[in-house]
Amino acid sequence: MRGPVRSQITFARASLYAFLALAAASWAYILVGADSGLDDFFSSRAWGNAGGFLKQLLGLEDTLADGGRSAFLQLDRWAETGKLAYKTLLMSVLAISLAGLGVLVTFLPAARNVSNGDLGGKPSPVLGAVYHLLRLVFAFTRAVPELVWAMVIVFFLSPGVLPGAIALGLHNYGIVGRLSAEVVENMDPGPARALSSAGAGNLQMLAYGIIPQAMPQFLTYLLYRWEVVIRTTVVVGFVSSGGLGQEFRLSLSFFQYTDVALIILWYLILVVAVDLLSAFLRRMVRAD
Amino acid sequence: MICTGTPKTRGAARFLETTRLLTLVLVGALVWSVAGAGWGGGIIHTGGAAAIKDFSLALFPPELSPEFLKVALAASWQTVVHAVAGITIAVIIGLPLGIVASGSLGNPGRSRLAVAGVVRFLLAFMRSIHELVWAVLFVTAFGLSSLAVVLAIAVPYAGILGRIYSELLNDVPQGPLAGLRSAGASPARVLIYGRMPMVFTDLLGYSFYRFECALRAAAIMSFVGIRGLGFEIQLSLNDLRFDEVWTLLLFLVGLVLVVDYWSSKVRRSLQS
Repeated sequence: MRGPVRSQITFARASLYAFLALAAASWAYILVGADSGLDDFFSSRAWGNAGGFLKQLLGLEDTLADGGRSAFLQLDRWAETGKLAYKTLLMSVLAISLAGLGVLVTFLPAARNVSNGDLGGKPSPVLGAVYHLLRLVFAFTRAVPELVWAMVIVFFLSPGVLPGAIALGLHNYGIVGRLSAEVVENMDPGPARALSSAGAGNLQMLAYGIIPQAMPQFLTYLLYRWEVVIRTTVVVGFVSSGGLGQEFRLSLSFFQYTDVALIILWYLILVVAVDLLSAFLRRMVRAD
Repeated sequence: MICTGTPKTRGAARFLETTRLLTLVLVGALVWSVAGAGWGGGIIHTGGAAAIKDFSLALFPPELSPEFLKVALAASWQTVVHAVAGITIAVIIGLPLGIVASGSLGNPGRSRLAVAGVVRFLLAFMRSIHELVWAVLFVTAFGLSSLAVVLAIAVPYAGILGRIYSELLNDVPQGPLAGLRSAGASPARVLIYGRMPMVFTDLLGYSFYRFECALRAAAIMSFVGIRGLGFEIQLSLNDLRFDEVWTLLLFLVGLVLVVDYWSSKVRRSLQS
């Protein structure tokens, strides 16, 4: 087995070199380009600006737009942005629910060993076609980032929480769908085959042979993605309306920098809370 | 002997309880989110249905004129450049931070733990904030430039890479390390000759996977006004040129899939 192993190692090494060459070309392109921003970054004026911006974020330097009081020192501002944080949380849960429901309906025919009858079902050309179609849909929805989905979707849907949730849901549908289908492909075929040879129908095999094995993994992936989604929800709010994202953009364009700081605080609170909740739920899933 | 009560074992009872509770929580979350979404006023706005039809039909065929393909190719290159530059800085920052966060450098003691804890917190902070939020902040502070965008990708990605690197470095088998230590190797040498060689392939594999994600991040950086695939998509959307949007989407998908295939091939070749 020396031959193939050596050639595989050279593939990884060749990839590394190829990447380094790409990196050199990219950096050359950026640094030679007119708008590289290199001189901006090393000018004292830029750092002065950045320092001033930071001070304004922290409310150390008054801006007219703030009305002289930092937003994060006012309780009613906390309450107002808290409502937006609630909307943002709602959007993230809705997004992950939509993605989860979509995956639940489609992940079985997207697994190769289900579509080709390896687990005991009957193979058919229709199932084969469905398999390829679903894999294509997974790849496409996954490859397009949430924000691009949101840009497209706000063209069709009424503003609100829903367009953002659908955009987030589509991207995560592709990710979780592929991972869940791979769980089915990699799982132990024993129970399903045993059930099938004992005369179980397709539905019974599904309920007792496949779902119990695949479910914990599916839920774990979904919860992991929720942690990512809560971070991205803010960004999707930039284009679709509702939630912290829109307020973030508005405050920034009105130069209300202490409001921006308050929104970032809420955002961090949400991120930490979702991380903790997701870790707790994942432990529950594994406890089964 | 009279048997009363349920014949279940304690373990089975607990299993049922956890599953039921979990189901309740998940279904509750689903109902709450669907009910709270605000369905009043129609899901599709006026003219939305016609726009969906136009958009779907525009795929057959997408805009394939040579001039536009040139635009799409240039935008793809811009996106690749930002992704590659971002991920290289992320690795350069993430690796040392990850090593410190793993606590495998320096003499054992309280100060080492404190430093590792501080760095871990820093990494968590860096990755908590989405790359686009970093971009908005950097552009506001430093002005619009490629470097601002590259840094915006690099900061959260360094946070993620640093965490993964530190976990990988900690999860190595302890035997070879103990051997090195008993031979009198310093912590730095244990790191270089013990931990690093054992985790190198995993580091490389994971970094390649993150490269794929960086590509998507670079595509949406257009949002702060930098050129790239996202920027062109926004322009074409504003012009209602849905056929151009499709071409650009296909370029983006193609780019991501190529890198996805490449990185999975690298990982597979490293595993065997």
